Amino acid sequence: MPGKRVLIVDDALFMRNTLRDIFSTAGFTVAGEADDGVQAVNLFREIKPDLVTMDIVMPYKSGIDATREIVQLDPGAVVIMCSALGQESLVMEAIEAGATDFIVKPFRGEDVLAVVKKVLGE
Amino acid sequence: MVDAPERKYLALFVGEAKEQLELLQGELVRLESAKEAAAVDLWASVFRRVHSVKGSAATLGLTDIVDVSHAAEALIGRLTSGKTLPQRTHVDALLEASDTLTRLVREAGKLIEPGALFVPQADLPETPPVVKKLTSLASALAEAALPEKKAAPEAAKVVVDPSLPRLEVVVTLSQKCAAPGARAMIVQRKLKGLGTLIEMDPTPAQLMQTKGGARIVAQLASDKAADEIRAVCLSVPEVESVEITSEAGGKVVPPEPVREAPVTPPPPVRNDQPRVPEAELRADATVRVKAELLDQLLEAAGEVLGGISRLREGARRLPENTGTAFEHEIDRLRRQARELHNKVVNARLVPFSLLTERLPRAVRDLAHKLGKEVDFEIAGADVELDRAVIEALGDPLSHLVRNAVDHGLETKALREEAGKPARGKLSLAARRERDRVVVQLEDDGRGFDAQGLKDRAVAAGKLTAEQAAAMSDDEAHELAFLSGVSTRAEADEISGRGVGLDAVQRAIESLGGKLSVASWRGKGTRFSLELPRSVSMSNLLLVQVGGELYGLPVPRVLLTTEYDLSARGGEGFESRSVIVGGQWVHAYGLAKLFGLPSLAPPGPRPFVVLEVDGTTFALAVDRLVGQEEAVVKPLFPPLDRVAGLAGVAVLGSGRPLLVLDPRSLSEMAGVRGMAPLPPRVEAANDHTEHGAGHGDGRAHSAAGSGR
Repeated sequence: MPGKRVLIVDDALFMRNTLRDIFSTAGFTVAGEADDGVQAVNLFREIKPDLVTMDIVMPYKSGIDATREIVQLDPGAVVIMCSALGQESLVMEAIEAGATDFIVKPFRGEDVLAVVKKVLGE
Repeated sequence: MVDAPERKYLALFVGEAKEQLELLQGELVRLESAKEAAAVDLWASVFRRVHSVKGSAATLGLTDIVDVSHAAEALIGRLTSGKTLPQRTHVDALLEASDTLTRLVREAGKLIEPGALFVPQADLPETPPVVKKLTSLASALAEAALPEKKAAPEAAKVVVDPSLPRLEVVVTLSQKCAAPGARAMIVQRKLKGLGTLIEMDPTPAQLMQTKGGARIVAQLASDKAADEIRAVCLSVPEVESVEITSEAGGKVVPPEPVREAPVTPPPPVRNDQPRVPEAELRADATVRVKAELLDQLLEAAGEVLGGISRLREGARRLPENTGTAFEHEIDRLRRQARELHNKVVNARLVPFSLLTERLPRAVRDLAHKLGKEVDFEIAGADVELDRAVIEALGDPLSHLVRNAVDHGLETKALREEAGKPARGKLSLAARRERDRVVVQLEDDGRGFDAQGLKDRAVAAGKLTAEQAAAMSDDEAHELAFLSGVSTRAEADEISGRGVGLDAVQRAIESLGGKLSVASWRGKGTRFSLELPRSVSMSNLLLVQVGGELYGLPVPRVLLTTEYDLSARGGEGFESRSVIVGGQWVHAYGLAKLFGLPSLAPPGPRPFVVLEVDGTTFALAVDRLVGQEEAVVKPLFPPLDRVAGLAGVAVLGSGRPLLVLDPRSLSEMAGVRGMAPLPPRVEAANDHTEHGAGHGDGRAHSAAGSGR
């Protein structure tokens, strides 16, 4: 997927770094990073990424609400939820809100890329 | 040889399928007499079970099972959709199908055995004949209207374009799937984008909080090509495989060598039952354990208890200052070991329904054969008993039930003549009473013929005409348990020649249970089985004879007493009498019965007074040694043929102990058939009595046991 532009949304720096490494190594362009839902929606509007990875529990605006707004802005937006184990009902809520897919933490790089490749139609 | 994962899934399938099929049989039999509303539920359940077996069998490539269950499913579909009421022939065919499936599943089970070869499909025998029968019955029901109105409740809201082809899409999720509920939701959304999703089983909500793989079956109305549908589903992460079957003509592009016949529109299917393969893949709260392992666990727990007893024995020899602390610790350990033992005992409990599920079928078939009408009711199917008890109870219980239908209940004509309802009533009820389970089988048939029983008992030489004449009806009913009295002279296809109530009684008693009967002439008969709930420790009275130690089951011990024989003619007696509770009872020397020398010193010697079926008798022993709890195990050949023995137990000291069977002893001594002695008033002075409880553990126990 070289060249695809990613927006990483997570309030934890560690997670953002991990995801950034995974995506950069695979040839993606990390177009932006946000650490809360409000920032995420603003950045999405600004940079129009090909892909968003979205944490669920974040300050100011949850990942679910941010996803709902992003999908309203762009029904074709590809948003992948990053959830922790045991957050299944939240993930399901996010899917209802329009999220494209999800990955469950803890994850390995290959897991993330497998989902992303599937979702972007390889 | 079948490889390991294959074997694991096969074992799983065989276990689950057997269970499903057994439940299926019970439901089919109940269907015949079920009222409308109940019948709808039963049909739904029957369909689900067949469907579930089919689905799993298809996954494993067991085509014979797929064929039979598919044909059965098609017939059920027709029966539930049409206006035709199910006839007996339909139920018969479905029962036959379930028999065939049971056999095929059992055969599949053989593949698990070590060294078994996985039979390639081409080598499988031809289609079972029942398939043809089911198919012709289904087509005879004509092209009844499709059960659109009977779709699942949530599906009722879905408006389906009738021109769209119906497809069954089976999506299998990867076992690595961490959130199957969320994953299923994505699949659901994809399917909705392809057409009208009529039903999805299980639903995403049902898959929430489950782990690992799942098999989702979706009914989809769509005009999209199968390839497109498959591609869309496979584009979802963690989707491992997709199978698409069209309603019109078999599998669309089979991706795997699994044969599946066209799908039948399902009747209302409740979604509360987990599907077979996925149930195991999830981390459920229950696991399957081999029965054998439970036996080993029980044995091991028993041995731990025995070891602790030995430790405690040894601690007595320690100096008092250290001994007390040590004993205290051992007692604590013993309590824990006992708790462990209890837990193992409880883990072995299985529901009574394991036995009752197959009975309605047997009753139905037998009644039809005999031209009788029988309403069979079962209560307390959920009462739990040890699996060993359940296993051993199967034959005696089915014998009693068959007996009741065959001999107990009259024909329709005879019943009407007697002013009774044409349909006979047979009820089987189990209930728990503390540590025992009471099972009662009651019919409203002809009742026992007391005079007939007396005549046969006299003819068999079991009692004299005078004794028979003096007997009450209730006493006479018990004669049915004597060998040669209950056995019918003519060969009997149903109950079999030579197997009588005596055999049933022996079987129940070898379980540590009791069988009794109450009967009312012309009104009916009730058999009561009092069974131990579990095979916990037996309480044994230890006695010594001729230098050997024997155990007697305390529940059979009425009391122990001492009696001076030298005052009455000394040793070598064969049969004498002692006074117990103001009554004379026959006394026998245990040494004499076993041909052992009696090593009792002269003077008063101990007697154990036993009761078998209301008959009291006394056994002379050399010494009363004490009381101990132990697990009694059955004897193996050739020892099992030695009269008078019930089993073997291992004492806390590690010493094996033969456990005596009071009934068999009374037969050896010839206690049976003898009239009770007339009471004599002049009490002998040369005896003393020790009160003993009735199996409550308070039986006399000699102080200072020699161990």
